Amino acid sequence: MSDALSEASDLSADDSQDVMTPAELIAKLEEAWLNEKFSPELLENKSEIVECVMEQLTHMEENLQRVRKGDVKASIHRMEIDRIRFVLSSYLRSRLQKVEKYFPHILEKEKSRADGDPSFLSPEEFAFAKEYLANTETYLKAVALRHMPPNLQTVDMLKAVPEPCLDSFVFLRVKERQENILVEPETDEQREYVVDLEEGSQHLMRYRTIAPLVVSGAVQLI
Amino acid sequence: MCRFICSHKKNVLMDPSEVEFLSEKETVTIIPNFSLDKIYLIGGDLGPFNPGLPVDVPVWLALNLKQRQKCRIVPPDWMDVVKLEQIRDQERKEETFAPIPSPYYMELTKLLLNHASDNIPKADEIRTLVKDIWDTRVAKLRLSADSFISLQEAHAKLDNLTLMEINTTRMFLLDSLNCMYKLRSNMQPGSGATRSQDY
Repeated sequence: MSDALSEASDLSADDSQDVMTPAELIAKLEEAWLNEKFSPELLENKSEIVECVMEQLTHMEENLQRVRKGDVKASIHRMEIDRIRFVLSSYLRSRLQKVEKYFPHILEKEKSRADGDPSFLSPEEFAFAKEYLANTETYLKAVALRHMPPNLQTVDMLKAVPEPCLDSFVFLRVKERQENILVEPETDEQREYVVDLEEGSQHLMRYRTIAPLVVSGAVQLI
Repeated sequence: MCRFICSHKKNVLMDPSEVEFLSEKETVTIIPNFSLDKIYLIGGDLGPFNPGLPVDVPVWLALNLKQRQKCRIVPPDWMDVVKLEQIRDQERKEETFAPIPSPYYMELTKLLLNHASDNIPKADEIRTLVKDIWDTRVAKLRLSADSFISLQEAHAKLDNLTLMEINTTRMFLLDSLNCMYKLRSNMQPGSGATRSQDY
């Protein structure tokens, strides 16, 4: 898993050196949005994309300030900005929801991350997760724990908060052909088997099996 | 246990309006009644617009211009009674999902018919045909979901299924599968998948 992740980050680093058109950038944001929406775990942060999109939006808004009111073109530009902003907010919001839901596990993963590996969280998300953990602990202490017998006054957040369920099923569309994807059996009577994922085909299978492909961008969750 | 499963819902859920939002990125041809230079949008260039000359724009813009009575919308090729009848008949004949002319056929039909029915010939017939196609496909989807679960499959190929169709069954199907998985893995001792609060 960690190999696949570092490979993917290399790839994205390469991508950023190529010149990406704004249209491609928006398409990338939409891909990231859907992937984040449908994957059970928190995916790697795409701060590069988010920053570039923010830049585009700010730039466009600055230009629009100079245009007089009631201009037809300006209204079309505003509509487009609103649409992009919607995707961007929804993307960031679904990440924060995951942080709120899995914060101890996400922070634990962050702690065990080797130096040099890219972080899953943006600096802002990291700060949010830490604060969320601290606040939850303070709250539990104030409301319940301090009234407990001394030996029961601690709670292990890692055990108290469920882990993301990587065995969930997901729907996906294949962007790059993949061969020999192992499908694990559901029951003891069944045998495991392999499938080829043809480009453009759509599948329903366990997230765990294809998680590395989501990271590398070979499949798109739908 | 229940808490665990329910807590996953929020993330997996996609609102139908969000699928509709995605469909609005598809392009449609309009015939404007105004002139305007090329527009340089972030997502690509549009125009120029000249009265009477057809031009391709995203659906969201087409609908907006239509609402402001600034254009006529040209229905997509497939939004035609004869073509849709063929698709419907093929869909009824085949057991699998037949190829569909647009990955957003349902949403586009709804959007265009609701906002521009005066530009679409035989709008009512088209509405009925698309509804027939949709019903046939969703019935197939329910059947295959049922057999997927009862055969306890671990992989299914879903070619030609549209996002909106997937969305109708997403929550129910994925939750059922997750529930069954947890019931099964809880029966085998030592599986780490469902520790913590479940006990």
